[in-house]
Amino acid sequence: MRRKWFLFFFRRSVSQRKGRVAIASAAVTLAVAVVTAMIGVTFGIREKLGTELKSYGANIIVSSDKGEGFDPSLTDRIRSIAEVEDVTGQVLGTVIINRQQLEVIGMDRGRAKEMGWRLTGRWPEKENEVIAGISLKAALNLKEGTAVSVSKDDNTREFIVSGFIEKGGTEDMAVIMSLKQAWSMYSGEGRLHTLLVRGRTGMIEQAAAKIRELLPDAEIKTVRQVAMAEEALLGKIQMLMLLVTIVVLTATSISVASTMGANVLERREEIGLMKALGASRSGISIFYLAESVLVGLSGGAAGLLVGAAAAQAVSKGAFNSYIGMPVYLPFISMIMGIAVALVSSWFPVQNAMKYDPAVILRGE
Amino acid sequence: MPFIELKNVIKEYRNTHALRGIDISIEKGQWLNLVGPSGSGKSTLLNIIGCLDSPTSGGIVIDGADISSFSEDEMAVFRREKTGFIFQQSHLIPYLSAVENVMLSQYFHSMADEKEAMEALTRVGLGHRLHHRPSQLSGGEQQRVCIARALINSPQILLADEPTGNLDRENTKNILELVKRLHEEEHFTIILVTHDPFVAQWGQRVLTMEDGRIKCDEFLCRL
Repeated sequence: MRRKWFLFFFRRSVSQRKGRVAIASAAVTLAVAVVTAMIGVTFGIREKLGTELKSYGANIIVSSDKGEGFDPSLTDRIRSIAEVEDVTGQVLGTVIINRQQLEVIGMDRGRAKEMGWRLTGRWPEKENEVIAGISLKAALNLKEGTAVSVSKDDNTREFIVSGFIEKGGTEDMAVIMSLKQAWSMYSGEGRLHTLLVRGRTGMIEQAAAKIRELLPDAEIKTVRQVAMAEEALLGKIQMLMLLVTIVVLTATSISVASTMGANVLERREEIGLMKALGASRSGISIFYLAESVLVGLSGGAAGLLVGAAAAQAVSKGAFNSYIGMPVYLPFISMIMGIAVALVSSWFPVQNAMKYDPAVILRGE
Repeated sequence: MPFIELKNVIKEYRNTHALRGIDISIEKGQWLNLVGPSGSGKSTLLNIIGCLDSPTSGGIVIDGADISSFSEDEMAVFRREKTGFIFQQSHLIPYLSAVENVMLSQYFHSMADEKEAMEALTRVGLGHRLHHRPSQLSGGEQQRVCIARALINSPQILLADEPTGNLDRENTKNILELVKRLHEEEHFTIILVTHDPFVAQWGQRVLTMEDGRIKCDEFLCRL
């Protein structure tokens, strides 16, 4: 019942100050939109960057020192002990195609799709299909569906090229085939020449150390350049995001605080009257703080929509695709909106509670 | 034992002595008018008795409670439970109707009750203006709403600071007659500040103040 009357007087109060509430909400909307867009884009960049960097390969490369290769089950063992994002194995070798010695990479077909390579044509589906690097297409005058004869020593097999990949590295001059196909070309069936490990950002050295413990005879290299570039870039993006967030939230807080300050000043007489009627500090404060919560909720919701739309627009421009927003983003945006509005109005409201009703009601 | 008792009450604002040692006793149900020139300390005294302000020193006992050492929260509770205020300016909330302004006082006291608020306004002669906003009411009508708002929670003390200061003679008389009628019916104590000799005649006692002191304390035969 008391809540009903609180809401009644609150509604009346807010409806009288639609303009001020709208201005404060607009300020919160702006802040939440910018920060939401920043989080969305950063999250998206991280995701996209991860995909892009994956196309440059792993950040830990494990090769067999004695040339004996690794058992494929090692990939699962490394994944469990080193807590890494991904482990895959490759068979590397050379073959003869059209009398030219070319590199062949045998890898899991599913993994190949996840590498983020640009593909022309389609991924191999049949047992005799392979993909070729884009540079081979011109060098060997290949087309989608062209049959190529691949030889290793006395072993010659025929494969159909289903598509071409473009990475900008040595893979562009290689034939990429499945592990099964590669093993069929080589005598060392069932062994992997190289293990490609993708360690978590910031945990690469620790993961390498754990792998070293597991495989003391293997040659383990961290791709420091890739790893460091990735970490440095993400770090810079996060720092930029933090700085922009601080600047925007500070500017918004000042704006909301001045709006609320003006609002409270305008209502000095009302506050004095409430005090004379015996209202407690908390009883009066709750009216103003509820107004701030309303500003925060409306600004947070509007900011979330605007920010998410802006993040998608940025992603579309930068990556030519939309990004997936983190599921916690709506929660963060709403909390941020309410927090900015509450913190900004806290001091003006507390200041108003110090008004001397006797002085105000005398009209001084 | 007097209902209100002040002993050597002093109020200082920086270098200004608003009250210079006030000693008075007020019986329950008495109508006391405080008169005196501007700056004599009458409004300060009213505010201190109404717990809107606290004294620099001195003792104030009201209904057995020593209010001179009350905290801010205790003062708020005292105002809520024991007092009703009427000011020179009506101080009605402009976006609330007459009945809603009265209900706001109920809300801060305990529970808003529209029916009770409407009855209170009817008692002060505003049964036909219940849903009018303050801007749609005359000065006299606004003061009537203030009286209804001040008395809706059945306070023991009605504190009025120049309640007719903005009204013409006819409206002043009407308001004072209304207050007199309600006083006779409900027997609350009235402390009323005025500088108008016409208003000062209404009531049972007149306390004349000058320069923060009581200059004259006289009981009237009227009423």
